Amino acid sequence: MRSMSPPRPLRLTLNDRPVETSCPNERILLDLLREDLNLTGTKRGCDLGTCGCCTVWIDGRATLSCLTLARSTEGHSVTTIEGVSPATGLNPVQKAFVERGATQCGFCTPGFIMTATALLRDHPHPSRSEITEAIAGNLCRCTGYTKIIEAIESAASGDR
Amino acid sequence: MHLDPFELYRPSTVEEVVRLTRDLGAACDVLAGGTDLLPNYKMHINLKPNLVALEEVEELRSYTLERVGSMTRLADLDRDTDFARAYPGVAAAVHEVATPLVRERATVGGNLLVETRCFFFNQTFPWRQSLGFCLKADGDRCHVVPQKERCYATFSGDLAPALAAVDASVELAGPDGRRTIPVLDLYDPGGDGIRRHRLRPNEIVVAVSFPAASRGLPANYQKLRIRPTFDFPELGLAAAGLVESGTVRSLAIAAGGLETYPRRFDEVTRPLVGERLNETNRNAASEAIMRSVRPVHNTFLAPDYRRRMVGVYVRRALDRLANGPPGVPG
Amino acid sequence: MSTADASPKFRLLGGRIPYVEGPLKVTGRAEYTDDIKRPGMLYGGLLRSPWPHARLVSIDVSSARSLPGVYAVLTGEKYPTPFGVLPITHDETAIAVGKARYIGDIIAAVAATDERTAELAMAAIRVEVEPLPEYADPQTGLAPVTEPIHARGLAGTNIQKEVVQHFGDVDAAFAQASHTVRVRGTFAGVTHAFTEPMATIAESTPDGRLTVWSATQVPHYLHRALSEVLGIPMHRIRVIKPEVGGGFGGKSDPLPHEIACAALALETGRPVKIRFDREDVFLTNHGRHPTQNDVRIAADSEGHLSAYDIQAVLDGGAWSSFGTVTTYYNGVLAMGPYRVPNFRYRGRRVYTNKPPSGAMRAHGGTNIRYSVEVALDELAESIGLDPFVLRERNALPPNSTTVNQLRITSTSFRQCLDASRVRSGWADKFRRLPFGEGIGLGCGFYISGSNSPIHFTPKMPQCTVHLKVDMDGGIAVHSMQADIGQGSNTLLAAIVAEVLGVDLDRVHVVRVDSDISPVDIGSYSSRVTFMMGNAARRAAEELLATLLRAASELCGYPVDQLAVERERYVPRHRPEVAVSFMDALHKAMEKVGALTATGAYSSPPMGGTFKGARAGTAPAYSFAAYVAQVRVDAETGEYHVGTIWAAFDCGRPLNRLAVEGQIEGSIHMGLGQLMGETMSYRSTRLMNPSLLEYKIPAPQQMPRVECLLVGQDDPEGPFGAKEAGEGPLVATLPAVANALYDAIGVRFHELPITPDRVVRGIEQRRKEGRPWKGA
Repeated sequence: MRSMSPPRPLRLTLNDRPVETSCPNERILLDLLREDLNLTGTKRGCDLGTCGCCTVWIDGRATLSCLTLARSTEGHSVTTIEGVSPATGLNPVQKAFVERGATQCGFCTPGFIMTATALLRDHPHPSRSEITEAIAGNLCRCTGYTKIIEAIESAASGDR
Repeated sequence: MHLDPFELYRPSTVEEVVRLTRDLGAACDVLAGGTDLLPNYKMHINLKPNLVALEEVEELRSYTLERVGSMTRLADLDRDTDFARAYPGVAAAVHEVATPLVRERATVGGNLLVETRCFFFNQTFPWRQSLGFCLKADGDRCHVVPQKERCYATFSGDLAPALAAVDASVELAGPDGRRTIPVLDLYDPGGDGIRRHRLRPNEIVVAVSFPAASRGLPANYQKLRIRPTFDFPELGLAAAGLVESGTVRSLAIAAGGLETYPRRFDEVTRPLVGERLNETNRNAASEAIMRSVRPVHNTFLAPDYRRRMVGVYVRRALDRLANGPPGVPG
Repeated sequence: MSTADASPKFRLLGGRIPYVEGPLKVTGRAEYTDDIKRPGMLYGGLLRSPWPHARLVSIDVSSARSLPGVYAVLTGEKYPTPFGVLPITHDETAIAVGKARYIGDIIAAVAATDERTAELAMAAIRVEVEPLPEYADPQTGLAPVTEPIHARGLAGTNIQKEVVQHFGDVDAAFAQASHTVRVRGTFAGVTHAFTEPMATIAESTPDGRLTVWSATQVPHYLHRALSEVLGIPMHRIRVIKPEVGGGFGGKSDPLPHEIACAALALETGRPVKIRFDREDVFLTNHGRHPTQNDVRIAADSEGHLSAYDIQAVLDGGAWSSFGTVTTYYNGVLAMGPYRVPNFRYRGRRVYTNKPPSGAMRAHGGTNIRYSVEVALDELAESIGLDPFVLRERNALPPNSTTVNQLRITSTSFRQCLDASRVRSGWADKFRRLPFGEGIGLGCGFYISGSNSPIHFTPKMPQCTVHLKVDMDGGIAVHSMQADIGQGSNTLLAAIVAEVLGVDLDRVHVVRVDSDISPVDIGSYSSRVTFMMGNAARRAAEELLATLLRAASELCGYPVDQLAVERERYVPRHRPEVAVSFMDALHKAMEKVGALTATGAYSSPPMGGTFKGARAGTAPAYSFAAYVAQVRVDAETGEYHVGTIWAAFDCGRPLNRLAVEGQIEGSIHMGLGQLMGETMSYRSTRLMNPSLLEYKIPAPQQMPRVECLLVGQDDPEGPFGAKEAGEGPLVATLPAVANALYDAIGVRFHELPITPDRVVRGIEQRRKEGRPWKGA
């Protein structure tokens, strides 16, 4: 039994910068980010596509890095929590999460930020039920989602 | 969790895919969105040394309202209001698949060929090993219905019943060329339950196509599960048809999430065509369909309850068709 | 909505204080254990038992050891010293010794260059076993068995702990009662399901020290257990708690993998990381006990409660964990919020060959509260009383003592009842909504910090807080209290800033590190706000005294005439000679340099003198009265909780954002246990060790929550505060169950209440010819 297949070159756009790296076929995007590229903001919660802690954008779409082969991102654009965070300060969604107490343990938070930021980019004024539906792939065990939904509403209305 | 090593192929045409899968034979799996295959691979279920990824095949990714490529991402269909108007039942089923994050990767073809599911099968290697494995993977017996012949894992796709209810077809490509079959012919009611489809060797799903008559046909999809997201269907019931002033002009009902394959209940619905729909024949239809299904205890909800909900869902589906929206033509 | 307005004398406390680590969490910069890498780090793997109960005859690790990339393979014999969170029930080992006791028990540990190699090594370990009888049902274990799971089981049975208590004369009370009610509650096990899987890194260095980073709620108990099992003095072990992604009790025991990880580090001389897959988390469990309880309640014709007679059988799984405490709590936590003059309890916790049960949020209180509150609803109906009236008649008054000697100081339970009744519109809804819609009341009572620390040696406070401030004006706060997301760092910083009058950004709560953090016994039993809050206040007051003396010297006014204002100390009526914080600080430092201060908290003596009298004692208690409104689809049995009016007495809420967050999160977790979460077993085999099949409620299932914070100041709580982390869970379940009864006329005594059970209940009632609300 082989431990791993030989690394092959991989070119992608990562957080708006071209990246040339390499990985074996079986490398999962989440592992490439966390283990190989030290982008540890993306979290491993269940590793099987349920919890949404590993949410990243692929070509701008919020999806699961734990169910994506790294090599599937060849030639594509990947954005992680590090990519949506300004060099200093916070983006409006992040600010709203902080001010509204939408983080508790914080482990699900990067995933929620990725989902919510994509939602507001595509739908600047979502209804409450659109927000609820949009986050229905991210599990939070601490907040009961209440303050997360409030934070997204507040970010959408600019009412902070 | 991690994957065992495999060779990965990323061909760009259907012909290349077919050639590759033929060359690789049984030692390969086809990778669509990966949201079903990769979790199973992470749990070391039925690993193959070669994966042929479809994501670079341009033809599979394109879709129109008549013909939807198999690699169309569910989220793209979900966002398409024209699609929802054209096929409200299918759109509802698409919307109910897993979670928004999964739907961004998951594909139409992948959902049609989603691996059947069972408490004794969708488990990690050590978990399954501790029970001596099962008929569907690495073992020789079924733990749900104890015997060694037939697997009872549950068909858990949402799209198949919704597509079947509007007479959609699937276009296949294989070494002998292309062919088109009704959606339900993908599945094998007479099989051993282990293999989830009856594609010919090295055949892939290229597209789903809709007959002109199905465009705008009133249709609905109801999904039973504990949570309104995340979960696979414990019952997915699709209905489509035209009921004009109480009289049934056309009708089809199909269900998944119950047995090893999705089913359509034409023997029950066909006699209703031309009839006026009333409480008596509605209830009789719901009873008949309910009596004909045999779920087993390998999902979260108890099989007797799932069966009972078939009756409720059929009644509700017929009421909704009779009462018009949602699913107004046009 | 609240009637207890924040006092204007506070600048921060009583307001909505965003979590201090929020900016790190929303950017992915908060550092959790698995985010840390050490140079030369190896990865650990744990071989788990596929057998529910088996004697380990031999374990051959020779071929595993010889694989390339494998650095160590350990079996149980190397560190056989038993440990456990309670000193009286040390029955766990880091790696199984002699026997495997459940499917998932750790029987070997491997360190290798990567996890894949570790897995290959584990596959190469040959284990020979003799299978032993498998015990799945705790009822079986009540009688002597052929092969007790532990030798310490009671008289050849699998009973780990039996509690028998009797206060007053229960039989006489029942003989005289005009109304009695009895229910048998059956509860599936549930688990914490925090989002961060456990992870530990251990590193042994040539200076003879061992450093352990771990996702733990109680760094101090881990510190002790590491020392005991590994035989290394505590002062040569350093425990660091990075950010923790939720715990809810599941990271409060010292856990075998943490010790095994340290053992691998000692063995290899290299840093070793063990991180769990989700299945490992489920198999480690320590969640709420599967429980069967029998509750009998006696009352007079006006609804005055005269006696409780309670029995409970708890499925403990393979180890003791917190189980002795759980066994007590399942009785004694029934003793509020009502006055009950006679009380009898028999509780038994039984070992089974399943993943161990332990402490989970609202530990020991949830299941018994459910049965009692549902029984009270039945009692109210049989007497013909409104459920609110029944509760009001029996509410424990402030400054009272329960029959089992629990000291009740503050209680705003009556205010909770008033608030939830009025806000919910109860009078217009109860028994008046159409069939399928209902409203119900459930009440809560929970400890605000266990009075008893788990360890008594040496004698020391339950919490100590250190402050250090140097010439830069930044205040470093050290304490081993463990923020696991509940906001204790924020509260700690806010209390210090409040007392000193400084801006919050001057205060930095330093990451828990046993080398510098004074001992606090961690985040469990809802103790942190109360105990750490008091310690922090005392430390800050000591520092303030020093600063005020310096300010007095500078401005010439005596200390008792100085007021604390924002960033300055101001003589009464002479603001123009106010001394800034920085000037006061620099003056105070002239001779001593950096200032330090310390504060500590020990709870006062309390409780009776009988056996087990300490169980349930706490320096304060929280109270709750929740009303839930539900809508049921009578055909499918699906139901939706529309609103919960959550009236809660946490004394003075110090951070409203956090208190609301705890209430909302508790309601979500309570609804999970009620609606669908279950550790589903076939015999001893866990069938659903995944977040897909373990049904944590989705956002769409969450009700609107109205937090009604009506608590009045507690006399001993910091600034009047009590707990809000666990108590908010317990009222949720019975409130919804009683609302379901109001909706469809069906009582549910078995959790979870899944739709199939709802349909069956409705059908049963119809079969019996007992229509409800005309349906």
